[in-house]
Amino acid sequence: MFEIFEYDFMQRAFVAGIIIAVLASVSGTFIVLRRYSMISETLAHSALVGVAVGLVAGFNPLWMAVVFAVISAWLIEYLRSAFTLYSDAVLAILLSGSLAIAVIIVSLGGAFNNSLFSYLFGSILSVSSEDVVTIAIFGTLSLGALLLFSKEFYFIAYDEEVAKTSGIKVNLLNFLLVSVVAVIIALSIRVVGSLLIGALMIIPTIAALQFRVGFFKTVIISLIFALLSVVAGMTLSFYFSLPSGATIVLCVLFIFIISLIANRR
Amino acid sequence: MKFSVPIFDIKNLSFIVKGQTILSNISLEIFRSEYIAIIGPNGGGKTTLIRMLLGLEKPTGGEVKIYGKKLSNFKEWHKIGYVPQRASHVDASFPATVLDIVKMGRTSQRAIFSTFSELDKQFVHDAMVKMDIVDLKDKMIGTLSGGQRQRVMIARALASKPEILILDEPNTGVDVASQKNFYALLRELNQQEGITIVFITHDIGVIADDIARLFTINQKAIICNNPKQTLSCQEMSELYGIDAHLLHVHKHEH
Repeated sequence: MFEIFEYDFMQRAFVAGIIIAVLASVSGTFIVLRRYSMISETLAHSALVGVAVGLVAGFNPLWMAVVFAVISAWLIEYLRSAFTLYSDAVLAILLSGSLAIAVIIVSLGGAFNNSLFSYLFGSILSVSSEDVVTIAIFGTLSLGALLLFSKEFYFIAYDEEVAKTSGIKVNLLNFLLVSVVAVIIALSIRVVGSLLIGALMIIPTIAALQFRVGFFKTVIISLIFALLSVVAGMTLSFYFSLPSGATIVLCVLFIFIISLIANRR
Repeated sequence: MKFSVPIFDIKNLSFIVKGQTILSNISLEIFRSEYIAIIGPNGGGKTTLIRMLLGLEKPTGGEVKIYGKKLSNFKEWHKIGYVPQRASHVDASFPATVLDIVKMGRTSQRAIFSTFSELDKQFVHDAMVKMDIVDLKDKMIGTLSGGQRQRVMIARALASKPEILILDEPNTGVDVASQKNFYALLRELNQQEGITIVFITHDIGVIADDIARLFTINQKAIICNNPKQTLSCQEMSELYGIDAHLLHVHKHEH
């Protein structure tokens, strides 16, 4: 029954997946409450530019994904605060732009191969020991930042202007939140894939919100749903030879539908 | 009693956007323990004035000082409690209990690594007792009535132990009975706690007897130091831009 754990690659995938489930669900709660769900999709596509640069130029794609996602996050916050642009329009522009740049880079560099495909849709086979170490280190730092400023992020999500007038450094914390989210997304694309990470970040929180409980309980429920989806998704992916990212997302969607039905008014 | 340094000292404040004058050359002072109402028609610049006082908008001319300091140098924002216009229109699905919301009032005064201290708990409890919402503390904010939500928002502002409470059209979406209790509460906060109250409304009918000074704003400000004297027809007409006539209503005691 536990033959799944006899393989080194599955052990690595499970460790990475569990860390990502924790990071994605906790950060996703703040993103959803800020009505900023689409930022995960945009940053995932920006991370893809980093992957493309990494693959073509011979750098570590994961590191390059982190760098490009963070730059994109800062650009989004800058455009949002400095110009009178709609937030969702800024996200849509950067999403399309990033994807176009990534495709051009890999096309020019002749790197449109299986490697890129694994970053698009996630592949548990591709998680290396080095990736696990990178995910663990950056993941711990990201989670630390989220927990350290969780009360401020929560207040800002509830009412940004009142938070500002109470003396909270809202602009600085907005930059910190999007930077942390960018790092988490970049770390996640190995396992879940850049096209699907947004779902793991957003759907567990949306499902948890159906239970209409306070903030702390919502975070815990979201965390449990994300962990269940990742563990179930990777197990199914192993036994049925399915792409890990897509299987995880289908599991989280299933949980969402159950939550929706169970909490019907 | 007026202190030498006003809480807010506003000089020649103007706000012009794309050639349109929202506020023109406003000067006024707000002192400790005052109870002030700012009235004027919708679009007259009341909310813009408040947003500039709180640093949410930058004036195109003039200057605002808080406790004698320029806005950019002011750090003690916990002394100012702000209840915005949309306070009672909360997102029904936001995952927050009444206690979660009131606790937000302590956020800016807590150190990064600190837990919620006994003092924080005391301030939150005191604010909930004052607003009579202790029984609601575990209720989800989205399930409350407009009047209850309004009390929660004020409790959140009070949890930071403010010296001044700024309320922007706080009665929007609140029923008449709750409004009456609300004015009694503001009076109590002002008279018993010494909290300065700045109350903004477009509805001239709500101006209570106990308001010390009245600022009427429609781009320009008229300061009325004795609001018990009814505004003249001419002042009313200037303020609201329509012909105004005074109607005297005799009040009978039953």
